[in-house]
Formats: sequence, C-alpha cells, structure tokens
Amino acid sequence: MTRKYAFFPGCVLNAAAREAREATEAVAAHIGLELVEIPGWSCCGASQIQDIEHDTALAANARNLALAEKMGLDVLTACSTCALMLRTARQELAAGRKDEVNKALATADLEYKGTADVTHILWLLADTVAQWGPLVKKPLKDVKVASFYGCHTVRPPTVMTHESHLNPQSMETIITACGATPVHIPERLKCCGFHAVFPAEQTALRLTANAADDAKKGGADCLLTPCPLCQMQLDMYQPDAQAAVGKGGDTPVLHLTQLVGLALGIGREKLGLTRHIISPESLLAKC
Amino acid sequence: MRTITFDIDRFDGTRSWTQSYSFEYDPALTVLASLILLKEKQDPTLNFTASCRSAICGSCAVRVNGNAVLACDTRLDTVLTQWQSDTLRISPIGNFHVLSDLVVDWSEKVERLRTAKPGLKAKAEFNAETGCRQSPAEFALIQKQWDCILCGSCASECNKLTDNDRDFLEPFVFTHANRYAQDSRSADGLLHVKEMVKQGLWKCLHCMECVTKCPKQIAPAADIAAMRAMAFAAGNTEGKGPRHAEAFRTDLENSGRLNEVRLVPRTEGLVDAATGRMGFTLRMLKHGKLSTREAVELFVTDNKPIEGIEGLRKIIRYRRDAK
Repeated sequence: MTRKYAFFPGCVLNAAAREAREATEAVAAHIGLELVEIPGWSCCGASQIQDIEHDTALAANARNLALAEKMGLDVLTACSTCALMLRTARQELAAGRKDEVNKALATADLEYKGTADVTHILWLLADTVAQWGPLVKKPLKDVKVASFYGCHTVRPPTVMTHESHLNPQSMETIITACGATPVHIPERLKCCGFHAVFPAEQTALRLTANAADDAKKGGADCLLTPCPLCQMQLDMYQPDAQAAVGKGGDTPVLHLTQLVGLALGIGREKLGLTRHIISPESLLAKC
Repeated sequence: MRTITFDIDRFDGTRSWTQSYSFEYDPALTVLASLILLKEKQDPTLNFTASCRSAICGSCAVRVNGNAVLACDTRLDTVLTQWQSDTLRISPIGNFHVLSDLVVDWSEKVERLRTAKPGLKAKAEFNAETGCRQSPAEFALIQKQWDCILCGSCASECNKLTDNDRDFLEPFVFTHANRYAQDSRSADGLLHVKEMVKQGLWKCLHCMECVTKCPKQIAPAADIAAMRAMAFAAGNTEGKGPRHAEAFRTDLENSGRLNEVRLVPRTEGLVDAATGRMGFTLRMLKHGKLSTREAVELFVTDNKPIEGIEGLRKIIRYRRDAK
C-alpha cells in the first residue's frame, strides 16, 4: 500500500499533542503511507475564528487547500476539527464563494480549484484494514478499548460523510484489527467539552469526567480517540475533572494511531506514550 | 412475517416503564404511522402528539434509539437501516420535561423563547404606506431560520443543555434571535444579540448535534456563530469566549498558527491564568507536554511565522477590506 497525501497536521500536533504527530508519522511510514507536510499550512480556525470572522477563516482554509492542490495531492489530517473546518470550507467554496475568495488568494499568487479532497487518518485506516491488518505483529488480545469518536469526526453528517453519524463503526473496525476488544460505552458519541473549556468550564469538566468514568465502568483499559483535541481534553483535564466532579481520574486516553502503532509492533518510544498526563502503564502492561 | 418491535418509554405522571409493542413490517410506514397504528390497534392509552403529518407543525418529534427525529418525516425503513435492527427504542425528546409517554411540556420552553425578544422592531423609515421592504438578498440571510417549526429536535441531544440548562438556551431560541438580529428591517438587531450573550451565547460546545438533528436543515450553531460575530464586531469583546476566539484570530495573522502557551493567559487574563492554572501548567511540564524552555520561548517570542506568512496576511487583509 503506497499512497501519498498532503499532510495537514494542525496546530496541536506541533505542540501539546506532538505525540499524535509522532504516532501518525510512525504508523504511516510502517504501512507505506507517504505523508508530505503542506509547506506553509496555517491554523484552520479551529471553529473559533469562524465564529468571529467567518470570511477570514474561509480564506485561510482556501489557502490551505490551494497549497495542497499545488502538490497535486489529496489532504490528510489527524485532527477531527481540522478535517471539519477544511471540509466545510470546501463545501462553502463549491457552493458559490470560490470566485470571490480566489480574488483574495490571487494577492498571494494562489488559486483554489477544488481538486483536493480532505480525508481523516481514521477513515483511511478503517478503509485499508485489509492492507495493514496483516502487518499487526503484536495483537492486543488482552486490551479492552472504549472508542470516543469526537463530535467533529461524525457531525454534521452533511460534511463528515464517511459513515453513519448515529452508528459509526470505523473505530471498532480498527480496534478489532489491532486484536483488541471494543467496549461500547454510552459516551462514545458525546462531546468532550474542549471547544468551550474556558467559557463553559464546569460543563467541560463534567463531560470529561463522564467519559473517563464511563470507560472505567465499562471495563475498558483506555479511551481511544481519533481527535487530538478530544485526547487533550480527556487526558490533560482529567485530574481537574476528577477534582470537580469526583469521578474519573485514572483512565488512560490514547490517540488512535498510538494503539495502531502498538499493534504494529512500533517501538513505544516512537509513539510518544510518555507524554500522557494519565499514565498508560496499566494498559501497556497488557500489550 | 417480519416483525418490528418498538420498546417505548412510558410515563403516566408518576410511574416510568418501558413497554414493548410488536407489529408487522410495512415499508409504507413512517415512525409516526407506526405509533398511530399501535395506538389504534393495540393500546389506546399510548400518548404522543402529532397533527399535520407533513413536517410542518413540528409536534411529533420523538427519539429513536436516543436520537431525535420528526416522526412523520422519518420512514421506518430509514431508521431500521440506520440501526441495523428490527427493534427500536422510542422515547420522548431529550432536555424537555415529560408530561406523559412521548408528550413533552413546551410551556417552559416558550418562556425561554421570550428571552430572544422575538418580534420585529422595524426601522424608523418604515411606515404603513411603504411597508417594510426587503430585497431578495436580504431575505436570503434569514429565510432558512424562518423554516423553524419548533419541533425541539435541536435541543434533544444538545450536549450543553443536557449538562446544564440554567446557563444556556435551546438551540432554536438562538435561531429565533438570529433571524431578528440579521433582519435588514430590524431597527436594532443587536438587541436580540445582547440578550443572547446574557443567556450563554459563548457557552455553546460546538457539538453540532443541533445542526445534525434539525429536520429542516437549519443550523442553529451557525446562528450562534453569526451572533457571536455580530457581538464581537460591535465591541463586545470581553469575556473568556470572545477573548479565546480573538487569540486564535490574531495568532493566525501574526504567525499563521496557534500559540498554545499564550492562549490561556490571553483568554483568562494573566493573573487568573497564573493563579488558577498553576497546577495544570506544572502537570503539563512534568509530563513533557511542553518543555520549560519551549514554554518560555513561546510566551516571549511567539511561534516562528509560517512559510508564506506575508501572503496569508495579504489574503486576510483583502477579505477584510472587501467587507
């Protein structure tokens, strides 16, 4: 399997969720996926800029897509919010905003044509299980994994079209391919609270505690998410959530590609597993 | 014979229970037609509300397997396929007080709707002779919001409301506020926005459930965003929500990417961040999420500008000037 993508890491994969970038790149290299970082990519707006200067965010994402088009490649992201922002921009540009936005892009000698699709590493891995599944060297047969999809991975379904938003199975497909056992928890399609952690902090902490507690009650060894923002919220804020709500506090939260990397037998040092707030040691002992 | 089972959540005012009903599969049925069939043929005590059967009145929203649908506008086949099961759980929509079985109470919601100050206060130049003229382009800005049929589906799975409805409103309230705020005939669109700021406009989680569940394809989350933009443009930039968004916006223009180290103090203020987030910061440093040196560098000198930052700035300025 050799496929090449224009890689859009997004801001957090360069900073607080660097381990997600390490794991994504390690897994990609292992399964023959070539990721070429888009030179000069910018923040996608993270649904924040969209709320105060919609057209600024639209133009920035048109630029991101135009840069990928110059590479002649489709875009791959490992962040659900980046994927949603880029795909939403694509839809809006296709629905009649292309010409006016291109006037702005022309000031930087760029043109958006609409040729580059935007996909998520989750979708790619789920669709190519048949190709990378045989590469699994260390099936995680003793590991129980609760998937936490993240809102922007599946909603709104008019933009995130890959699978059913009500009953998605991509995470479970990948967990099973890794030899682990999926644990279905009621919180799997709920919000982690990340995007309102400051203005609605108490709500965000309760949602975080609920997910962590739900996974524990379901007998899962960890929560698994394809969105680094969900991972950051559920991991970094879990101690605060535990302090505020009195539940959760010791549920490890893995990035999707970290689990896949473990199953593929990639060295733990390449998967950033030491950069977690909630130690994944209890889980790693079963791998 | 293929048999369909509805496990219906029932409530008689004091007692709650789940009751199973089975009926013969018929591809012509909708969810509402199935409920009517059960009431007519099996159990006249089963309560639900419905009227137009044409997706206009908004009275028949229910949950199927925990997700709101407009029962008259949802084919049974659609949900059977979605859930890959011939057994479905039918419940009243969420985030509403239940009166009986699938019947919910709208009285409190109507009172909450009043906070949007619904109703058009027209500009002074309009009068009985000339009316309130509006161009097609101006009407297009609010046309979709006028499709709201007050079915409550957008509120049913709203993650914010489910957690706490005391500091937030039902998404349809924001949609109603925005349709007056954006109306070209409004004398003071900000009137509605200011009320919504008081009622939790910046507390939306971006969970996108409202957008997903609206049977009329309205996007309450976009209405919330539009009113945030309006409030921000009018100078209402104080508060954690606006300051957080502004940090992202200026980072985009300054370096092209988010500066995570500056984000918290810019959102909460330096003093609050230094005192309230000390434990969090130490935890981040201890577990290697960021090195101390890196954190100091980012705080003092910012991210290195991206390749092509001047081009990005030109694009942003062009868009801003065009407005």
